[in-house]
Amino acid sequence: MYEEPYKWVEAVGNRRHYLDEQFKQGSPVVALPYDAGILLLTVSKGTPKLYEIYDRLALGGMGHPADLEKLRFSLLEMAHVEGFNRSPSDVTGSRMVKYGIAPVIKQAFEEVFKAPFIVKILLAELGQKTGKDSFLVINYDGTFDESTHGAVLAASKAIEQEMMTYLREHSSGVSLEQAAGTALRAWALGELAQRRAGEEATEGERDAVGSPMATDDASLYTHLRETVREKTIECALLDRNQQGSSKYRSLTSEELGRFLPKDIKPSLP
Amino acid sequence: MGMQGDFFQLLKEQGYQLGVAGVVGDGQEFTTATTILAFKYGDGVLVAGDRRATAGNMVMYDRTDKVLEIDRHSVMAIAGVPATAYEMVRILEHSFKYYRRTQLQELSFEGKLRAVSKLLKENVAAALAGTGAVAPIFAGYDFEQETAKIYFYDILGAEFEGVEYAVSGSGSPTIRGILHYLNTWGGQPLSAMSEEQAVIQALRLLTSAAEFDSATGGVNREANLYPVIKFITASGVRTMPDRQLKPLFETKVVRHV
Repeated sequence: MYEEPYKWVEAVGNRRHYLDEQFKQGSPVVALPYDAGILLLTVSKGTPKLYEIYDRLALGGMGHPADLEKLRFSLLEMAHVEGFNRSPSDVTGSRMVKYGIAPVIKQAFEEVFKAPFIVKILLAELGQKTGKDSFLVINYDGTFDESTHGAVLAASKAIEQEMMTYLREHSSGVSLEQAAGTALRAWALGELAQRRAGEEATEGERDAVGSPMATDDASLYTHLRETVREKTIECALLDRNQQGSSKYRSLTSEELGRFLPKDIKPSLP
Repeated sequence: MGMQGDFFQLLKEQGYQLGVAGVVGDGQEFTTATTILAFKYGDGVLVAGDRRATAGNMVMYDRTDKVLEIDRHSVMAIAGVPATAYEMVRILEHSFKYYRRTQLQELSFEGKLRAVSKLLKENVAAALAGTGAVAPIFAGYDFEQETAKIYFYDILGAEFEGVEYAVSGSGSPTIRGILHYLNTWGGQPLSAMSEEQAVIQALRLLTSAAEFDSATGGVNREANLYPVIKFITASGVRTMPDRQLKPLFETKVVRHV
């Protein structure tokens, strides 16, 4: 039935629609540089969404856990074999994405008889020097964007842009504590926007005007207080000051607790 | 197989082969030889090694680092053919990281010991042919038993625990006796020594080995060359800097009787 070109285009279009639906309830992911490295943050319901890939590479994901696992393993395999056969400095995020997983994701997306990867991926790479960090975001169709000052994953491009604007306004030369606060508020902003987008879609034309979304600290924290109650705040660092070759470490709940307002208490450790 | 987090298996699936057994021609000399030692002192384990690499009568290199950190809590000291030993260290380093990153937990200390053994077994043919014999000491912190431990291996992969100490390399017969004497009649057992006392003994032991074994390099003060000494405790692996070894060597090791 897809032998005619326009039907194939139509099928891919349907697939895009289907995939967009899958991410609506997902938890956004935020990554931004701070003065000694990179911070990644998300809020999850137990299944981790932030992972160590290689000495200076960290992964954040959105979507189906099984798909994320599959791609995580191929990144790990690629990175370690390459790091062993050549050298750890040849394992770069850009190579992993461009010649590694992006083509695989694109192929799965366009083979309309098979299941696509329900996944969006963020790869953060700690540069050898400050200011040389890089962030890669891969969409479910295999397209990717590269940036140097942070990146986010969210249900739609529009929401991702809103979050990025917020990050840009708050994230130049910040300490770890400031970065954790900014990341958490950016997450809240994204989550709030996703929720609104969902409500607008169900309410349809009836109440489309709505009030503009409040993005001041107080209202973002109010939203957070409600949403994180039965969840975990996951936070990981690529820490330039970490001894040894592996720069990745998870932030402990005590450390995180020190950075957050006291009344924001995730229930899970 | 990748799902099991076994990096060596992954390498083999890609056609990698460790230690190829070759036929050794007459008169061919390989770079080898060493003295490495490890013993338990008051705070944990001390691992030390000289810096010399030789091929037959020739000194190949005097700045070899034979005490290598595999990860934040384990160290492998190497004796034997460095080409194979360094390769093994690289595989282990990647294996432990790969396991942690895929399985989302650290490989247990026992798992690490097995990994060393497995590599040595894989290398038996090369070891027996004479092109790749390695007899390492592996030491690390065991979080399950909350103590630092020492293991040593023969070239076939047999694993032995060095309950108090372990030695390996061509200079080791000399210092094995000294370690036994020190530990039994030395006034205090090795395990009661402070860090400084332990370092002094390690320097004296390596100096004794260099005295009787031409393949072990002594300290070369003109070139500012000192042995490599590392400590393993619960907080990880730490290296003793040369600037601290220098005064200890000058006041406590240089003969003053």
